[in-house]
Amino acid sequence: MAARALLLRTAARCCSPLHSPSAAPRLRSHAAIPQLRFPSLYFSASAASTSSHGPSGGDAGEGEDDKGAYENYLGMSDDELMAQCDMGTFKSSGPGGQHRNKRESAVRLRHHPTGIVAQAVEDRSQHKNRSSALSRLRTLIALKVRRPINLDNYTPPVELLQILPLKSTIRSKDVGSQIGPNNPKFSPGMQALLDLLFAVEGSVSEAAKILGLSTGALSRLILSDDSLRAAANELRASKGLKPLR
Amino acid sequence: MLSLSARSILSAFLPKPKPRRLLLLRPRRSSASASALTPPTPRTTTPDPPEDADPTPLFLRPPTHPVPEASLAAFRRRAAALVPPSAPHLHRHLRWLLADASAPAPSGADPAAPHLLRAPLDELEALWLRHVRDRRPFQYVVGNEHWKDLVVAVRDGVLIPRPETEAVVDMVAAVEGFQDGWWADLGTGSGAIAVAVARMLGPGGRVFATDVSEVAVEVARLNVQRYGVQDKVEIRRGSWFEPLEDVKGKLMGVISNPPYIPTDDLPGLQPEVGWHEPKLALDGGKDGLDHLLHLCEGLSSALMPGGFFVFETNGNKQSEFLVDFISTKWSSSFCDVEAVLDFADIKRFVRGYRR
Repeated sequence: MAARALLLRTAARCCSPLHSPSAAPRLRSHAAIPQLRFPSLYFSASAASTSSHGPSGGDAGEGEDDKGAYENYLGMSDDELMAQCDMGTFKSSGPGGQHRNKRESAVRLRHHPTGIVAQAVEDRSQHKNRSSALSRLRTLIALKVRRPINLDNYTPPVELLQILPLKSTIRSKDVGSQIGPNNPKFSPGMQALLDLLFAVEGSVSEAAKILGLSTGALSRLILSDDSLRAAANELRASKGLKPLR
Repeated sequence: MLSLSARSILSAFLPKPKPRRLLLLRPRRSSASASALTPPTPRTTTPDPPEDADPTPLFLRPPTHPVPEASLAAFRRRAAALVPPSAPHLHRHLRWLLADASAPAPSGADPAAPHLLRAPLDELEALWLRHVRDRRPFQYVVGNEHWKDLVVAVRDGVLIPRPETEAVVDMVAAVEGFQDGWWADLGTGSGAIAVAVARMLGPGGRVFATDVSEVAVEVARLNVQRYGVQDKVEIRRGSWFEPLEDVKGKLMGVISNPPYIPTDDLPGLQPEVGWHEPKLALDGGKDGLDHLLHLCEGLSSALMPGGFFVFETNGNKQSEFLVDFISTKWSSSFCDVEAVLDFADIKRFVRGYRR
């Protein structure tokens, strides 16, 4: 348990490339990708439209195919995502190799396009730590990378529908049973939910209306996962709204 | 120890490692003589494994020792109390020890049922003491090291594979056409590299793994069988290239993590290493280069034209020396010779190609 807590604490370090000038050159591929990614909760839509990096205002004039224009990191395979990362283990002092017996094999992943850092230390093998770090990275991407939504012709993606309670009126039967926070597929749904919440300026009741849920039901969903709740409340705080409890 | 024939017969039915099935054949051992009160081995000498030590790694022994939850909890408390504040990582080791020593709980099992352990509790206690007080490596206690995606069996007398060395396997995978080549892993030790490489090979690929140590050959053979790669890995006992006369000039690659620590550095090693791991696998002679230079000498006749080699070294100085040495002395035989960094940015490896 303690190790897990440590992981959460240490892995939560994250930076936005648009906030940190040193990370900006990492967006080496931005010229090739037509859309600016909105990588941070703290990043308001108005600030985005003044940015010199992307087309003005991610929320207007994209047409129907705008969704596909954003990098869908969570839709990538582990290998594809790894290819965008630098893997570092912790630098050790001393000669290493045959000189040393050290069982702990921490892994740190830095995801270049977003600057997000995820790490894992609690497992026996570097191999397992790598997959823990990777799944942690997916969660952090979901929490930190915001993609703009055009509310006028918005249809919730299936990843989002999958995490909604069954009573949602926009959820058809073929979506299947509800996916919970312990399922790896929860991250993409969580990302889409935060995207929507971001688009409606943090208003849970607005978002609930769009998702065919009562405000209470959506609040309960948000509160069901600690990191989702924290991200939603941070977003609401940036809009001057009170936190959900 | 299982007889080899029994193992190979069994392993024919076991494409994947199924250690528990394998080990049911092992004759049961009577309860250990050691107890928690066994005095620690004096630190002035290298503690050898006790004469009667069961060579089967703990994590592969059958879980035949029922222990009530209360006794296990009491053991956990006693064991945790031995951990000095300066070594918090030992709490993690204790958790792993109990994980490796326990049978996996079947789903739906009665929570009140006694735990099944792979060794009697007093033996576990003695093992724990030897780890905490005598600095016996944790890997020797449980009998394995998690290395890449493998759980490599190890025991006293064989070098514990290091995380740095994992990179060697990735370098092999980067060689064009490696899948169908013949490879040599010289001084294979536990066989970790040989097994990891073999698992990537295609139908034509083969690994010849040599080691001069009898224990290493036994442990390597166990690991090869556990991962079902006996049709790809041939283990031969002997020093470096010696047992490979018949494949001379046919090898696509030569891999080795030879002993490279300068003799003078041995007394200053971390106790887990210096007191417990085999000198044979660590001592590289005066400058640590004895075996590396011997390997370099044999390379050009062992490799086929265009063949690849990678050696692990002691670090920056040795790697720089070897790159320089190979490129000047044998410039006509080798090309693209370079030092490669490990994850701590130390020039840990030397690799290159035969012309």
